[in-house]
Amino acid sequence: MMRITLNPLTLRKLQRFRSLRRGYWSFILLLGAFFLSLCAELVVNKRALIVYYEGEYFFPSYGAQIPGDHFGLGYSYETNYRELKRVFHQRSEGNWLLLPPVPYDPYEMDYRETDSTGFSPPSWESRHLLGTDKTERDVLARLVYGFRITFAFALGYLFLTYLLAIVAGSVLGYFGGKVDMFGLRLVEVWSNVPFLYMVIILVSVMPGWWGLTWQISSLLLIMVLFSWTGMTYYVRSAIYKEKAKDYIAAAKVIGAGSGRIILRHLLPNVISTLVTFAPFTVAAAISSITALDFLGYGLPAPTPSWGELLKQGVDNLRIAPWIVSSAAGALVLTLTLVTFVGEAIREAFDPKKFSTYQ
Amino acid sequence: MNTVKKINLHLFTLLVFFFLSLFVGCEDNTLKKPDSVNPGSQPKEKARTMGESDREYIRELAREFAQELRKEIGSSVGDVKADQPSKEKTFTDFSGLLDESGNPHPLLAHCSDSVLEFYLKHKDAFQISSINQLPKDLQWEDGSKEDKFASPDAKRGGTWKTFMSDFPRTLRTIGPDANGAFRRYLLDYNGVGLVMTHPNSDGYYPGLAERWALGKDGRTVYFQLDGDARYSDGQPVRASDFFFTFYFMRSKHLQAPWYNDFYGKDKFLKVTLFNKDTLSITYHSSKPDLVERISIRSIPEHFYDELGGDYLKKYQWVQEPTTGPYVVRKEDIKKGQSVTLTRLSNWWADQKKFYRNRYNPDRILVQVIRDPSKAFEVFLKGDLDMFSLSKTDYWYEKLPNDHQLVSEGYLTKVTFFNQVPPPSYALRINSSKPPLDDLNVRIGFHYAMNFDLVLQKIFRGDFERMRTVADGYGNRSHPTLQARKFSVDLATKFFAKAGYRDRGNDGILINDAGKRLSVELLTGYKHLEDVLVVLREEAKKAGLDLKLKILESTAAFKTASEKNHQVVFSAFSSFVELFPRFWEPYHSDNAYSPGGKEKFNADGSLRSDIVVKTSTNNFTQTAVLEIDQLIDQYRVEESLKEITSLAHQLSKLIHDHAVYVPGWKKPWLRMGHWNWVAFPEDWGPCETRDYAEFQVFWIDEDKRLVINEARKNGRKLADQVGVRVYEKHRINL
Repeated sequence: MMRITLNPLTLRKLQRFRSLRRGYWSFILLLGAFFLSLCAELVVNKRALIVYYEGEYFFPSYGAQIPGDHFGLGYSYETNYRELKRVFHQRSEGNWLLLPPVPYDPYEMDYRETDSTGFSPPSWESRHLLGTDKTERDVLARLVYGFRITFAFALGYLFLTYLLAIVAGSVLGYFGGKVDMFGLRLVEVWSNVPFLYMVIILVSVMPGWWGLTWQISSLLLIMVLFSWTGMTYYVRSAIYKEKAKDYIAAAKVIGAGSGRIILRHLLPNVISTLVTFAPFTVAAAISSITALDFLGYGLPAPTPSWGELLKQGVDNLRIAPWIVSSAAGALVLTLTLVTFVGEAIREAFDPKKFSTYQ
Repeated sequence: MNTVKKINLHLFTLLVFFFLSLFVGCEDNTLKKPDSVNPGSQPKEKARTMGESDREYIRELAREFAQELRKEIGSSVGDVKADQPSKEKTFTDFSGLLDESGNPHPLLAHCSDSVLEFYLKHKDAFQISSINQLPKDLQWEDGSKEDKFASPDAKRGGTWKTFMSDFPRTLRTIGPDANGAFRRYLLDYNGVGLVMTHPNSDGYYPGLAERWALGKDGRTVYFQLDGDARYSDGQPVRASDFFFTFYFMRSKHLQAPWYNDFYGKDKFLKVTLFNKDTLSITYHSSKPDLVERISIRSIPEHFYDELGGDYLKKYQWVQEPTTGPYVVRKEDIKKGQSVTLTRLSNWWADQKKFYRNRYNPDRILVQVIRDPSKAFEVFLKGDLDMFSLSKTDYWYEKLPNDHQLVSEGYLTKVTFFNQVPPPSYALRINSSKPPLDDLNVRIGFHYAMNFDLVLQKIFRGDFERMRTVADGYGNRSHPTLQARKFSVDLATKFFAKAGYRDRGNDGILINDAGKRLSVELLTGYKHLEDVLVVLREEAKKAGLDLKLKILESTAAFKTASEKNHQVVFSAFSSFVELFPRFWEPYHSDNAYSPGGKEKFNADGSLRSDIVVKTSTNNFTQTAVLEIDQLIDQYRVEESLKEITSLAHQLSKLIHDHAVYVPGWKKPWLRMGHWNWVAFPEDWGPCETRDYAEFQVFWIDEDKRLVINEARKNGRKLADQVGVRVYEKHRINL
């Protein structure tokens, strides 16, 4: 069994990171927000948390939808729990239900209960805390679910680009010579393929019958395929530098194979260079998926997304300022937090303890 | 050893450069003027400084190489052309085109050899007769009974400032890329045909022809050209230009199959010239609206002389001399920014009855503003004169009646009720793609579309639901048919008939094989996304999952015309014509090959080995023998009564076939304009589809100064709200 042992140097770096309070707390906050968004169904959802109906308890948040007929509402499609709450209240037969704090989901148009035709301003009574968009969907719900998708997307992007870059970079760096020369040329050629065009073309040929998950993953794959090259150069040069050191020669003398040397000896020593880039990659991923959505080439409608909200907000700047301010606020906040984390990591992993940035 | 290394390095550098140049070429996608068009201006030599990177240098090399290659290819094409042995005159005399000694008729004396050869090759389509042969008993009409529709108060002058969303890719009006938003300024707002349809009545008014007459066979129309008719370069319009029009429109060099077909020899059978300004054109069949169909525009032969393989390139940035009032001067084309049109000072039709007081601005400045919401802000700033406010959010929220500019007399909001066949906003179901090949699924789909909610919430009840496949054609439209209304019960009932009985965990219906009822809905209308979002959410209630696919408009159109869609949300703009078209969208010949009845089995079902036909407008892949037969009958029918009855039957059959979910229509046009723009008393003719179509407005530059001045000083101009409704042409359904 493999035991994870942290090298004392790494431990010290981690301690140093913890001591940089701004970055550390940003990190905790971001992580917390992400985990919270993973169970967003319990906080922001049109489905009730608990329904007590004729002696039986229901927990509709997850799982199959319950048709309105089930609660005597007389329709075969999904129960509208806000309506159900009113019905329970009117009938006062001892049935009750508990709604989440924000009783809307990101897709639902709240046309039925208000006369509004879109763009309702924020209000506490209607529980649209950040108002609604042009088709009367809750802005907060779309922000929360949009955050979940965007952040998961960014993490996936980080993982995959790193995977590709590390594989390519270590092969180039470790073997060097002709492999390096030709390999690097290929990487250069690849990095010249215009990224945005490729995304636009590939998105337009993506079959619509693919599920949402498929569409998002393929968009992720496309983005990764055309943007992993940047990191390769760093990995390659770090490996080059590291492999010239004596301990690698020693490992070779003992008879260690290439795979072992790369995985066990080289990578742990170059990883610190890469880690410092990670938060900035996340920030880049968030901003590029938002930009793509803004341009209309990103996630398929009506997936909640920040870019789409921003676009709506900008188009309706005068009549619904709450949309653009919420979306832009959320984006700025997230990116700032990510940058704080990045700064802290960079500082923590810096070999020089005292350095000044100018 | 050292030399070998050097050579290696050299080879390697070359390899890298080669790869790089492959890719830098991709970025050079800017518009360029073809050199041949502009021989006077030398391409500017780009100054290269010492410190510039290799990359830039390679890019330069790649460009030079590409230019060389282009020249090479160009010259080789030219060589081939020169080699063609087409100069020999071996024509024989017939159809009056040549005299006895083999010389062309005086009316065709100016024609180039290849043009003449074309006429001779199609001898039965191009004929010259003498004026004595003109039928004596013709009933000439000249439109003098019609009323004019412009205002005598109109003021000439000023600049009309408007916008387009993209810079035109060409100034040609035909051929690849010509069908852009700018073409309307060159053609629709500007062109004059032989005879023009009167926008306030069923009659006509003179265009290039000052009078016209219907022949006895019901298929020929005689025209007498207006002696004043001139092109913008001062040359007169000649009768032989209508010969040339067909030479031009049928040319493959245009790369415009639609035009080749529209002007094809199976449609226009014959053109006969009688003298220098009398001609007749014969159509393939007699139709109630024959004059309208035959009234083509003229192509200036003196300008083209003949057509060759260089047509597209040569005329990319030159405006063809027009018979209309506006021309584009070379110095007014600002690439990527704007195009300005200038009114001719001595336009030939200037004082004619139906043209007087129209086309009033001296200049039309068409700026590129890519984003519509930005264009709207520019309009509010006063840098655009008019703006379409048909969209609900613009009318109600972005420019509400209590907006300061409206309430203080700067701007006027106009609702004008018009009478035109509406653009057919509808969902077109591809009946060849499962599960939609099942009639019950299609009918269920109809019931699952909540257009009423869309109309009520997104369009605030301003639009009406379209009823049939052919609304807006007077009594040719079906009198009683209604679109199917949203009903969860009926939808689920029909879905159950097709085997989709149970709901899955997400509430979507599944059939016994476990297949979800999921359908892809394609559209190119990004701006109508809200509509689809509402339809999608409501369809969930009926257990139908709609997957939206919103593409850029040309990509969407391509997908649909390749029949790769399941359902497409699209609109075709309808021509203002007497009766609707059924052949293009519903005939089986536009769905599958082989043509005709061969694609059906004896029992009327479709054979299994037929091939899908792409690039047609039959987006529904309708192929029903009964519908085919009726359409065939409809196309040859000449009596209006029969046409009407057939149109009703067809509308009903297509309704039963359930491939077309009618969307909405708007019975009006809404727009806003600054008060320095003025309109006639009735605002415009009843067939107006967009505010500039008939060019009856005028710009008062003095008023512009006054209004701008008042705005700067924050002075109120009027107390009443500037909202006007013109209901003269309102139809109460």
